[in-house]
Amino acid sequence: MSSHSAFAEAADALAVSVLGALSGTGGAVQLARYVDDAPDTLAALAAVRVLGADVFSPHLLKGDPFQAQDAAVVAKAFDAFPASGAPDEPAVAHRDHATAVLLARLSGDDTLRTVAPAPPEDAALAPRDDWSGWCVRMAQLAPLATLGLDGPVHEAARDGVLSLSRGVSRSILRRDFPTALRLVRWLAWLRHEGAELPLDPDVAAEHAWLVGGTGPRTALDLAIARHFLEQRPGTPPKETARP
Amino acid sequence: MTTIPEPVTRAARSMADRALSWLHANRNLGGLPPDTTETMADPDSVYKPLGETTLAASLILRDGVAGPGRLAAAQSLMDFTWEQFRHGDMIYERQLRHTLMTDPLEMYAPFVRCGYRHEGLDRLLAHRSRMRSAGSVEVLPNRRLAVANAARIVGLPATEDMGALAAATWLGARPEPWAVNWITAYAVTHTVFHLTDWGADPGGLPPELTDYVRTWLPVWIDVWREVGQWDLVTELLVVGASLEDPYVRPEDWEAVAALQHEDGLVPRDSDPVDDDPQQRFTDHQHTVVVAAVAGSIALARAGQR
Repeated sequence: MSSHSAFAEAADALAVSVLGALSGTGGAVQLARYVDDAPDTLAALAAVRVLGADVFSPHLLKGDPFQAQDAAVVAKAFDAFPASGAPDEPAVAHRDHATAVLLARLSGDDTLRTVAPAPPEDAALAPRDDWSGWCVRMAQLAPLATLGLDGPVHEAARDGVLSLSRGVSRSILRRDFPTALRLVRWLAWLRHEGAELPLDPDVAAEHAWLVGGTGPRTALDLAIARHFLEQRPGTPPKETARP
Repeated sequence: MTTIPEPVTRAARSMADRALSWLHANRNLGGLPPDTTETMADPDSVYKPLGETTLAASLILRDGVAGPGRLAAAQSLMDFTWEQFRHGDMIYERQLRHTLMTDPLEMYAPFVRCGYRHEGLDRLLAHRSRMRSAGSVEVLPNRRLAVANAARIVGLPATEDMGALAAATWLGARPEPWAVNWITAYAVTHTVFHLTDWGADPGGLPPELTDYVRTWLPVWIDVWREVGQWDLVTELLVVGASLEDPYVRPEDWEAVAALQHEDGLVPRDSDPVDDDPQQRFTDHQHTVVVAAVAGSIALARAGQR
């Protein structure tokens, strides 16, 4: 019987696998094999949904090949856990849609975009005076800070450099290091685009990880941030897909 | 006119007026014990708080934005603390006895700002300012700024490069804003206080430091509000009001004004406030002083053209 803790354990295990592929210390992520070999198939599919767009990181950032059977597993995960249609979960809707967009792009099957439709226009995305509340939202959307995506969330990030920087500082001072690293990931993505930042995301990332980094999913945020920071600023992604 | 939103001026007026009332009503709780001499065992217990009360009263008189009754109360407070210091004799004796100490100069400066002078102390301080020895005392950079600003107010010849002193502070390095800690945040507030002469000269804070403070002040106020460090939060409000383009967020000012007790006490933190009058004074006098200063500076900035 799958449980919440089984889902969390499966998500961590998949994150470790993605992290290994991204860092080169493990083999390529084979989602189909991961699910086939899992003791709890439903938990494994839940893990695919929880990691969302991050399962594609080795393919997007390193160019690892993406197999048709892996695309089928992601589609199957959406069958098992359909995309959120709840209007009170806009962040989930954005994450689901981003996963669907990348799935369609990497698989070459555009019909897969429909597994998670584009969320309606989201006025709350625009940076506002309530920068700390806005940053909570952007931290939830950190999986969208990757290559191959561009849309309203990314526009909001571009408009919110100062707010994101404040959010990183606030999170570190509050010792909320997972949130700090999710927001650093956005700053790293912005730096990669060539944006000027009021703080050094590299030092902030290292500090947050050394002081309070824990867990494979946070490590994955850090690894993706590092990937952007190690690239030449302003290097455009080879190809982007608008959600 | 400098832009200070109306909700901030309302909160600032309330904070300053009630804080001044409290300082005046409780002034005897902060008096020096009988037979206090220039060599005191614990200068932080009463001597320093008296100086802080003097500072608040002097800034209210300088800014001149309080009503006539409040200005009279501020003048009365100045008279009280001047009397406590035996019309300057005690400050003079302390400086005479301890040549290298800087606190007599700092204690004297707010009095000079309001026209109180002590002839012997003036001569002694002028002599001291020529001594390489006195100018070479090893102190933290933000403390050195305090001494330099006090010397400026007293009218001593300028011997310090304020820009170089500013650059030597923690703030001057424009460091990682997320690495600040409680005591360093106080170093930041005091760096701004002295460079701007308590809000009178916003341009005294170099432009790059003004930009830095304006960028990160919202974060610092946010995190210390969350943990109820009201003394530090109120100092940060002073900093915001002292910037060239003030950072004054109504929610922050209203939060501090709402904390203030009916009698004017502003709690230093989120711990319970003691019922004993002397303990209340000891614990919270500094925060009340800061509230009076914050309110006065914000109102003065609101009136500037």
